Amino acid sequence: MSVAVEAKNLVKDFGSVTALDGLNFTIKEGEIFGLIGLNGAGKTTALRITSTLLLPTSGTVTVFGHDVVDEAAEVRNMISYLPEEAGAYKNLSGLEYLKFMASFRTNDKAAIGKLVDAASEISGLGDRLKDKVKGYSKGMKRRLLVARALMTKPKLAILDEPNSGLDVLHSVHVRTIIKRYAQEHKVTILLSSHNMLEVEYLCDRVALVNKGKVVAQGSPDELKKKFNAVNLEEVFGEVVGFA
Amino acid sequence: MLNDLMNIILKEIKELVRDPKVLLPMIIIPLVMFPLMGFAIQTSMETAQQSIGETSIALIDQDEGSFALSLQAFMTANNFSVTHLDNISVEDALLQVQDSNLSSLIIIPSGFSVNITKGKTADITVYTPFRGGGIAESTRSSTVNTLLNIFESGILDQRIREGFPESNATQILNPIKSEDKSIVKGKSADVSPDVLFGLMLSQTTIMPVGMITLLIFAMQLAATAVASEKEEKTLETLLTLPINRTMILAGKLTGSIIVALVGAVAYLIGFSYYMNSFMGISSNITIDLAAIGLAPSLASYIILGVSLFMALLSALALAISLSVFAEDVRGAQALVGPLSILFVVPMIFTMFTNINALPFPLSIILLAIPFTHPMLAANVSFTGNYVGAIGGIAYMAIFTIIVLYVAAKLFGTEKILTAKLKFQRRIKNIPRD
Ligand SMILES: Nc1ncnc2c1ncn2[C@@H]1O[C@H](COP(=O)(O)OP(=O)(O)O)[C@@H](O)[C@H]1O
Ligand SMILES: [Mg+2]
Repeated sequence: MSVAVEAKNLVKDFGSVTALDGLNFTIKEGEIFGLIGLNGAGKTTALRITSTLLLPTSGTVTVFGHDVVDEAAEVRNMISYLPEEAGAYKNLSGLEYLKFMASFRTNDKAAIGKLVDAASEISGLGDRLKDKVKGYSKGMKRRLLVARALMTKPKLAILDEPNSGLDVLHSVHVRTIIKRYAQEHKVTILLSSHNMLEVEYLCDRVALVNKGKVVAQGSPDELKKKFNAVNLEEVFGEVVGFA
Repeated sequence: MLNDLMNIILKEIKELVRDPKVLLPMIIIPLVMFPLMGFAIQTSMETAQQSIGETSIALIDQDEGSFALSLQAFMTANNFSVTHLDNISVEDALLQVQDSNLSSLIIIPSGFSVNITKGKTADITVYTPFRGGGIAESTRSSTVNTLLNIFESGILDQRIREGFPESNATQILNPIKSEDKSIVKGKSADVSPDVLFGLMLSQTTIMPVGMITLLIFAMQLAATAVASEKEEKTLETLLTLPINRTMILAGKLTGSIIVALVGAVAYLIGFSYYMNSFMGISSNITIDLAAIGLAPSLASYIILGVSLFMALLSALALAISLSVFAEDVRGAQALVGPLSILFVVPMIFTMFTNINALPFPLSIILLAIPFTHPMLAANVSFTGNYVGAIGGIAYMAIFTIIVLYVAAKLFGTEKILTAKLKFQRRIKNIPRD
């Protein structure tokens, strides 16, 4: 299997704050890969660099062999990014929003229609898609945005806390969809989460991030075995020493 | 490429037009408020005029001489209805008039006719009840005075003709008449310079005020266009899409321009309706500007149009660049707001002086402000300074290109995301306790 994403010695300083301090990870094509860690560990920063939004202070990230700094345009063609805190245009309807987003991928009306159909199926929002986004609940909005990110079946989907702030019902829906898209459409997924149990269920492999560094890496089973723990929360406790 | 641009422009327009914060000031104020104001003024003016047509007054004639009688006849001849209150005291008459809808009470004291005959000043008293009825009421009382003045000049005319059979009052009272003409572009023009200055002033005030309204409105729109993406957390997604970021910027600019122009048209329609509601009433002096070579030529219209458009572009570019540093819509509007000083200062100077004639550093400073140039261009048909106006357009074009370049640079880097955070942190550093 080929390499989808490779981050090498990634460092990012915001003034005096060092958000990433030599981060390394590799994702194989078709994998669901999770960055897990406490708030402030640097997960969002790593995802934003991978999505071409921020420039690394030093180090590199490549997406399917393309450098995120030097070949940003190529990278943007392959990825789909769901920010941690994201919104949709509130004066557009859900459908109008999806159509707007789809039109950047193709100019063909029929193809746009197909993307929008796929998205409305993913979102499971049905007729509510005709309403203005203004009236959506937080969960509905997140489902719309996840659908937007996955509808194009990108080579790499970068999902920052895909389940943040969702109740169980919405969470389960989103989780199922992510898993299905990775399997059925060979979408590689890079996600972040601070919910270790969710990650354990969802991810093929994880990297534990602490203070801008990867402190442990492997499949959930490998990690549990290695640290003799019942779940990833315990693994994390062992590694960063809060248990 | 072009499809992406169209897609963004369409979305911008949809978002702006559906936003009540944009829609209300753009549609409600010009298209509803202006006409309503105009309507209110028009109707009250009309009521005032109607009530003039049916002036009815009360009269106490204590003189009963020949001039008292001819004054009454004169009033009746001019459609005044006259009620005689000869048999009651003045106090009772005042009470009666106050409670009626009579416009005035006229008292002709005894000796009125005798005094006029002797060539002395004859007294007459006009009481006007104060009922708080606004313009209509004051118009009615002035109608009575006007009528008395006409009657007075009739007497004067008669007197003068007794001494100078070939003259009349106007000629005797104005033994010298000077005729005011102007020299316009080296030729005589049959119009006084005061009128021309007044005309120019009305252009240098009305034009800039309209212009400033449009520019400020457009800048607020453009600032909102970027800042609302941040506020609604849609910017990050937009920036990771496979589109050229310059296209995003161009789409936002174009969307704001289109909406601002629609707003401008709405303002023009509303404003011209508002102005028209006065036109029917005030006697407007029309001057044939074409005959004296001051009519705005097609060239001057084109120059003004281009100049205005360039000013609009540079204002939008400036607003967008600044709004990159704001974290939300309110922040962006606060950042852009102070820029209105760049409109107001040139406006004041163009209103009161000729900018090119100001002392050296001041004139350069004013000419460096791009928004001075459309105001100068508004007067190009008066000043004839076409070269200056075209130079101004070129200057604004260069200014816009530089600002747009900076904006595109900001858009192209991570600054657009991190600039906001720096702004935030600076605020956080202010001690709160
Ligand atoms: N734009 C920024 N400016 C300054 N500091 C930032 C910025 N973004 C993130 N940080 C800091 O970098 C660190 C890592 O943040 P982040 O990547 O958001 O962590 P996580 O997503 O794991 O919670 C934090 O200390 C955060 O305060
Ligand atoms: Mg985060």
